[in-house]
Amino acid sequence: MTDITEHMTKARDLGLENDRVPTEYYTSPEYFRREQDMIFRRAWLMVGRVDELPEPGDFIVREMPTLKASVIIARGKDGEVRAFHNACSHRGVALVCHERGNALTFRCPYHAWTYGIDGSLRAIPAEQDFPHVDKATNGLARIHLDSWAGFIFLNFADEPEVTLPEFLAGIDVMLEGAPFEQFPFSIRVTDEIDCNWKNLVNAFNEGYHVAILHSKTLRAAVVPRENPHLHYLDVKQFGPHSAGTVQRNFDYDPQAPALTWVYAQMLPTSAPDIAAIEEGRAGFYEHPGINRIKVPNFGTETITIFPNISIQPLANGYLFYQFWPISAGRMRTEVRIYSRHAPRTLREEYAMASTLAATRDVVVEDMAMSRLQQIGFESGGKTYQQFGQNEPLLRMFTRDYEAYLAGGGLTKVPTQAEAAE
Amino acid sequence: MSHVSLPEQFAFLEPFVATWGGLRSQDERYLKRQELAQGELEAFHAALAPRLEEVFVHLDTFDPAALPEAEALLFRVVLGLTEASQAVEIFGQPRVPHAPFPHSVNMEWAGYQPH
Ligand code: FES
Ligand SMILES: [Fe+2]
Repeated sequence: MTDITEHMTKARDLGLENDRVPTEYYTSPEYFRREQDMIFRRAWLMVGRVDELPEPGDFIVREMPTLKASVIIARGKDGEVRAFHNACSHRGVALVCHERGNALTFRCPYHAWTYGIDGSLRAIPAEQDFPHVDKATNGLARIHLDSWAGFIFLNFADEPEVTLPEFLAGIDVMLEGAPFEQFPFSIRVTDEIDCNWKNLVNAFNEGYHVAILHSKTLRAAVVPRENPHLHYLDVKQFGPHSAGTVQRNFDYDPQAPALTWVYAQMLPTSAPDIAAIEEGRAGFYEHPGINRIKVPNFGTETITIFPNISIQPLANGYLFYQFWPISAGRMRTEVRIYSRHAPRTLREEYAMASTLAATRDVVVEDMAMSRLQQIGFESGGKTYQQFGQNEPLLRMFTRDYEAYLAGGGLTKVPTQAEAAE
Repeated sequence: MSHVSLPEQFAFLEPFVATWGGLRSQDERYLKRQELAQGELEAFHAALAPRLEEVFVHLDTFDPAALPEAEALLFRVVLGLTEASQAVEIFGQPRVPHAPFPHSVNMEWAGYQPH
C-alpha cells in the first residue's frame, strides 16, 4: 500500500504563506464592485455547453446576475456559435424572452426591429424615419465567445487581455480529450443564498469539512480510514486554476432499502462503476491527467477553474458547480449533474430523482454552512478567517483573487512560436 | 380530490395518496418532506421501501410516456420516497440540518419531463 501522506499537498509545499484572510473580502460592497470590474469583466466565464445548441438556429438566453447581463447565445446558419447582449439597437429592449428555442430571426416585441440569428440587423419598420441608422453597424452587441472541451466561455472585456487557451493556462492540456461529451444529459439545480460567493468556492476547495459537515451524507461513502480529514492529494496548479485528487470508499454498502434499490437500477453519477473501471471503459478514470498518482480508491479529481467553477469527473458522469455573486452578501449556486442519457424507464427516472435529492442535500449542507459563515463574518467580531496547511487551495484562490483585484492575474503564456523566437 | 385510485394491488399505499399523490415536481416533494413529522415519513418508508421492486415490476408493463391515470398516481406517490428516504435513511430528521425552512430549490431536467 502506498503511503498516502506523501501525496497530501500542504500549503507550505506550494509556498503559500497567506494563512489569514480579511473577512472584509467577504462582506464589503466595495470589494464586490472591484470583483465585478477586475475579475468578472476580465476573466473568461463558463456559461454552458455547445451541445445545448446542436442545430443552426438554436439559441439560449442566460441571465448573469453578477454583471446584470442578459446574454443570447445562438448557433448561426454557418454553424458558428455567437453571443450577444440581449438588447435591441433601437431603444434597448431585451428582445428575446424565451429561455431557449430555435429561430431564423429575433424580432423585438416593441417596434419589430428584426435581427438575424447571427446578430445582424435585418429590418426596421418605417425605415425612412431612421436615415441615421446604418443597418450594417447596428446589429446586436457582440460578446467575445470561445469554447473548450464543449464548454462555452464568454469574456465581457472590450478586448480580452488573453485568449481562452492562455487563460486556461495548462488545465486544458491536462484534461485534453476528457470525455465530457459522453455525458450530455443534465439536471440543473439552482438556488440563491445569503452569503458571499467565495464561501462556497472555498467549501469546494477543501475536504477537511467532509467528515464533519457531511457526516450523514458523504462520510461513509468517501472518507477513507487512511485519510480521515479527506486531505486533497497531489494538488496541481495551472495559473489560478487547480486540480486535486480525492479518494472514496469502494466498499461503501449502504444498509438502507431505498438507497440499495436505487443503486441496483442505475449507478448514481456519484458512485464508482467498478465493472466499467475494471473493463477500462470508465471514461474519466482512464484519462492520464486524472488520478495521476493512481490511488486505488480513486473518487474524483476536483477541478477548479477560476473564478467560480468546480468540476468533479466521476465514473458515470460529472458534477459541475458554479457560484455567481449577486452582491457582497448574496449569491446564486448552479449545480449540474451530467449523465449518459435521460431516463429511459420509470426505474431510471426514480433512480435519477433519488440521486438528485441526495446530491442536492449535500449542496444544501454546504450552502447552509456558507450562510452561517456569512452571519459570523458580518457580526464583525473577527476581522480574519484562517486557512490551515491542509487548505492550500483556499490560500491559492485568495492569492490569485488579490492578484486580479490589483490588475494582474492574467499572465499571457508565450505560444510555442513566440517562445521559439 | 380526484376520483382516481391506485391499482388494486397497491391499495396499501392508499394512506399516503393525500400527502404525495398530488405533487408534481421534485421541489414540491422536497417541501412536503420538510413539513412532515419524522414519524409520518417513517411510516411511508416502512410501507413502501421494501416493496419498491414489486411496484416497478408492475410499472414496467406500461409505456412511461403514456401511463394510465392509476399508474401515474402510483408513480407520483412512489416518487415521494425519493425525498422521504433522505429523511429516514440519511438524516434521521425531515430537514437538512442548518438549512433555512421552508427551503425551495429549483430543479430542472434538460429535455426531459419528469413525472
Ligand atoms: S426597442 Fe426594439 S424595436 Fe423598439
Ligand atoms: Fe461540502
